[in-house]
Amino acid sequence: MTATLLKLLWSFIKIGFTSFGGLSMVPLISHEVVTNGWMDLSEVSDIVAIAEMTPGPLGLNCSTFAGIHAAGIPGALVACLAILLPTFTITAMAAVFFQKFQKSKWMEHILTGVRPVCIGLIAGVIVSFCQTNYILDSRLSFQALFIGAVDLVLLFKWKVSIPNVILLSAALGLVLFR
Amino acid sequence: MNTFKKAVRLFGQFFQFGCFTFGGGWSIIAQMQHLYVEKEKTITSQELLDITSVGRSLPGIMIGNVAMLYGYRAAGIVGGIVCVVAMVLPPMIILSFITYFYTIFKEHIWVMNAMTGVRAAIVPIIISAAVNMVRGAFRFRPCYFLMAAAFVLYLFFNVNCAALVVMGVVGGIVICEIQERRGLNDHDGNAS
Repeated sequence: MTATLLKLLWSFIKIGFTSFGGLSMVPLISHEVVTNGWMDLSEVSDIVAIAEMTPGPLGLNCSTFAGIHAAGIPGALVACLAILLPTFTITAMAAVFFQKFQKSKWMEHILTGVRPVCIGLIAGVIVSFCQTNYILDSRLSFQALFIGAVDLVLLFKWKVSIPNVILLSAALGLVLFR
Repeated sequence: MNTFKKAVRLFGQFFQFGCFTFGGGWSIIAQMQHLYVEKEKTITSQELLDITSVGRSLPGIMIGNVAMLYGYRAAGIVGGIVCVVAMVLPPMIILSFITYFYTIFKEHIWVMNAMTGVRAAIVPIIISAAVNMVRGAFRFRPCYFLMAAAFVLYLFFNVNCAALVVMGVVGGIVICEIQERRGLNDHDGNAS
């Protein structure tokens, strides 16, 4: 048990420090969990499916799932802690650094370039989500488009809160998809 | 005591964010936009964009990094840790539950339909966060080129996000140097 936990810890530390979030983590996670025999490939594609449907970032959901498969709840805790290690170390240091230098001239120069890049990335994320969320079974889904349009109105016109938008979309999904 | 109170408040807020983290954490950015930028006005949308950019470019889970950066800003290192833990707990609990009942979950057509509905909400939610961030993101005209380049490279060439951020860092320094040499004032008129 301890040996498995240590192995999980090491695997997910490696994944955490070498990945940058989102689907880019999947090949790394897949490699680690399959070579260690914690999951097979079909289970890996299952977790990607679940991770995308349930709340929570993909990397964290994959760690929880793989951890439980390998060593139950303690496994999940260890895997999640390991994958968050870069956040608790590198990002914590970056936070200190960022706070200190935020007003400096160089930081301002750097951010002048990084902000537009981030907007470009968000635009890219939006396009890829459009592909996966509105094209279902390789057909454009009018129900999904309708839900999206309703949500846009709710968010922009009536300033409905995001949790409520999500709950309402779930309800519309229940009614519209059958 | 003050820090303790702040930490408790942050815990509550991030725990709630965590319950609704659909779309790879982007809906958390949107929720932070709603709460901290629009309601409480504790940070500007430009600062939120900065935090997102930095969080995105560091290794690990983007939204964990964003929580750490915001928490540190709000209440020091304790705040950072509290935000990350609070945000991470709900998905962990939900997923542990789902993992045990996965087969039932997968075959339950109602659950799948509700989830398809939720997925349709992700794009509008991200747009609602992004619209506000666009303001103030483009100080000089070449910044639009950087945005377009990042968009194309990310979407069509699968270029790593960290590499794109490095491109932004270099691009930003070059653009600012050129503008300074030309002696132009920037748009928002606060050039040093």
